[in-house]
Amino acid sequence: MVKRITDNQVERLLDLVPYLTSKPGVSLEQVAKDFKTNKAGIIDDLNTLWMCGLPGYTPLELIDLSFDTGFVSIRNAEILSKPRKLTIHELAAVIVGLSILRESISPENSSYIPLQELISRLSASSKVPAPIKVVTAIAPEIRSSVEKAIREKSALDILYFSVAKDVESKRLITPIRFVVSDNHEYVESFCHSSDGYRMFRLDRISKVDIVDESLLPKLEHTLDNFEKISFAIKINFDSRKVSETFNLGVQFPVSLDHSFDCSAFNEEWIIRTICSLNDAASVKEPAALRAHIALRAQKALNTYL
Amino acid sequence: MSRKSERLVNLVIALLATKRSLTKSEIFRTIEGYEGSNESMERMFERDKDELRALGINIEVSGLDPLFDDEVGYKIRPEDFSMDTKGFSTTEIAYMSLAVQVWKDVSLDEVSQKALRKLSGLSIPIDVSEVPAVAPLVLSAPKYLSEVIGGIAERRSATFSYFDANLDLNIRKVNIYSYFSHKGFWYFSGFDLDKSDIRTFRCDRIAGEIELSSKSGTYEVPNNFNGHASFTESETKQRLVLNVRKGRCSQLRILAVSSVSLEDFDQIEIEYVIEEEIIALVLWHLDDVEIVSPDYMREKIVASLKDLIKNHG
Repeated sequence: MVKRITDNQVERLLDLVPYLTSKPGVSLEQVAKDFKTNKAGIIDDLNTLWMCGLPGYTPLELIDLSFDTGFVSIRNAEILSKPRKLTIHELAAVIVGLSILRESISPENSSYIPLQELISRLSASSKVPAPIKVVTAIAPEIRSSVEKAIREKSALDILYFSVAKDVESKRLITPIRFVVSDNHEYVESFCHSSDGYRMFRLDRISKVDIVDESLLPKLEHTLDNFEKISFAIKINFDSRKVSETFNLGVQFPVSLDHSFDCSAFNEEWIIRTICSLNDAASVKEPAALRAHIALRAQKALNTYL
Repeated sequence: MSRKSERLVNLVIALLATKRSLTKSEIFRTIEGYEGSNESMERMFERDKDELRALGINIEVSGLDPLFDDEVGYKIRPEDFSMDTKGFSTTEIAYMSLAVQVWKDVSLDEVSQKALRKLSGLSIPIDVSEVPAVAPLVLSAPKYLSEVIGGIAERRSATFSYFDANLDLNIRKVNIYSYFSHKGFWYFSGFDLDKSDIRTFRCDRIAGEIELSSKSGTYEVPNNFNGHASFTESETKQRLVLNVRKGRCSQLRILAVSSVSLEDFDQIEIEYVIEEEIIALVLWHLDDVEIVSPDYMREKIVASLKDLIKNHG
């Protein structure tokens, strides 16, 4: 069985030779950085490699290294000079990564077809399958505009759908960075419309326009802590769904008297989520939140009476 | 540690450089690092072979024919060992480098780092910034995906513990056929050996590890297997008539097949497949929506709201 192995020196040495061959005169610092280790670690590796070569092990057969100036050059290592083949798992990472890149751009993008061809070729030559579909739920134009705005530190006018409030609104934001949380992609931004830092889910942005930022006040890029509301729930049934909805990470069948601590940014979201779970979960605390839920449910019930 | 690394690297170099297979005695005689009694060198060599194989290095064994008592020989074929770099353009290598950098943290990350390290050994300078119009992405790497793909590639049956809807754990044994992502989650489909049917699983609902059978090639993947069809498309559509408040309920409005304007509300007709999902969506919109028909759906909403009031009163 092919198992993932943690890094070991032999593997590192075998990868080091083609790396050094392709980058004559590379600095020790750069090597250490690229191999995710420190300078002492690399010097130890180089000292070991120095003793390797073809049987005979005279200077004629040994790998010839020089690095005492702080810059590395390698000679007499032709046999190991080509990079090793990618393993199945490495190829899987490449192929899935390429598939995601392809989905992140629009089909008109000049990279789309070359990416598609590369995926097919890698998959065909290796038996490592490509995913049969990748749905990112984020329009490529939206992603690329937001990415460009982050890079160029410019502001955006966005049309944003707030699921909790059930309204679409126009916001003026300066995006700061992408954040992945609970399987959704967000863009952390300064929201000029509400004068504070906000997270926007990328798949809920329906329109973006770049704004002339000379009109905007200057920003200090420090992030406030988003204030979260704490509450406790109990699970009545459908525990997997409730656990996934509130990100509880529960890994066992639950009993009715069990209480789970949760937190969320927005009370409206909590109320609507609890209601939409069709009584699979109820809020235990705080009392005020319980009262709000009962009140909102009563209001909804009144329309049917 | 470094004496052993030295011996292993020397073994790789010698087995790669040789045209014909090397016998054990030739290896012990010529390769630096093999010393001690014949028995201890034998043990050393066995361990070395295992270690190199664990790194994915294929050592070819020849002379195993029982009719000839030739001594067994060993070599590494360069085409098995090295990447075939000729087929790739500079841009393609840049794409691949960018692709492995999609992953941050957990499972695929370590593998990606190693892939990137190998790619960086190509004699072509990799300049990711030259890749036209592809923005770098950073995603959480899905756990288990690497095992799932490895399982399909080598046709090894997978065994794992899976959480059902009540969070009970069940052991599932599956011949995996395909994998895909849908709205932020990774899924795989295959033949469930106990249920004797095609099933789809979500990667993050697995507990513990995926175990792959030690034997490879244990099954065939059917031609044109379309795993997600059973997952997304299905059955007959039901109809529901709703009153939705003006300016609200856009998530319900996008499902509408017809719409009539009333005073404060619009009356819309929608189509749905999964009842549970549509009830959740109606409940989400609270007093901004009312089910007009059918009656049994009205009653379900009423019953659910009454439960909510009772449980939060």
